[in-house]
Amino acid sequence: MEKTEFLALTMPFKDKLYRLAKRILVSKDEAEDAVQEVFLKLWKGKKNIENYKNPEAFAITMTKNYCLDRLKSKQASNLKIVHSNYQTSENVEKNIEANDGVEMVFRIMETLPEQQRIVLQLRDVEQFEFSEIAQMLDSNETAVRVALSRARKTVREAMIKKYNYGIG
Amino acid sequence: MESVKIKQLLEAYFEGATSISEEKMLQDYFNNEKVADNLVQYQPIFVALKAAKEERSTMVFNLPETKPQTSKKWWYSVAAILVVAFGVGSFYFSQPSYTQEEKEALATFEKSKRAMMLLSENFNKGTERLTFVGQFERTKDKIFE
Repeated sequence: MEKTEFLALTMPFKDKLYRLAKRILVSKDEAEDAVQEVFLKLWKGKKNIENYKNPEAFAITMTKNYCLDRLKSKQASNLKIVHSNYQTSENVEKNIEANDGVEMVFRIMETLPEQQRIVLQLRDVEQFEFSEIAQMLDSNETAVRVALSRARKTVREAMIKKYNYGIG
Repeated sequence: MESVKIKQLLEAYFEGATSISEEKMLQDYFNNEKVADNLVQYQPIFVALKAAKEERSTMVFNLPETKPQTSKKWWYSVAAILVVAFGVGSFYFSQPSYTQEEKEALATFEKSKRAMMLLSENFNKGTERLTFVGQFERTKDKIFE
């Protein structure tokens, strides 16, 4: 496979991989390193990539596994990830009232268990079907649904608290 | 859209029971429409989810140039075959080829060689016979001592 061909195949989901990596690793630099690493692996194994029905799903699975490994080795060496980058869209900036709450949503998402975070990212941000997510995570649809529901409910609890008691 | 419908969708949403299109409706409502007062606490969730999708990496990913190794190996084998073929070929073609005159000369040489051989064989026969003469000499010496 030629380089241009490879790039044409993989570039459309570059940002999806980045967003997933960032959701898991939180740090922007870590996420970019992870995506670079995944692309190198894909490039090295480019002979196989054509055999996969869905290169995007394959790449997402790879990214997820790589990031979880990174996280594990980090926890093992007791390193804490420092992060301070919440990117908000123009839409958010316009909506000043909600901005506070939006930042809070992101913060809650970071506190979720990794599996829930990944499922929430793949479903609510990237809008994949349950069957696709189950395939990517090597899981089943029911498990994905349960994890997703838990994640959404955790976010809801936090928002209800904030609006009822005005904690923010 | 009426808030009753949205509320129903929200219930299903938190149970993980909404479809992609229903979730898009929710996101659309909370991002673009006037949100009802009793639903305002849910707005940040959908604003955040939409914002999360806007995020892009500015990084340029680079791939190493991989020289195809296989074609190089292919060239090695071609080179090896050429060397062997050249060796064998030069061995074959270095064999002298004779002109008509040289062939005749060779044939004559072979003939004269055979003649010489014949001659030498007969000489050998002669020397064999001469041993008898030697024997005769020795016996004669014994008798006439």
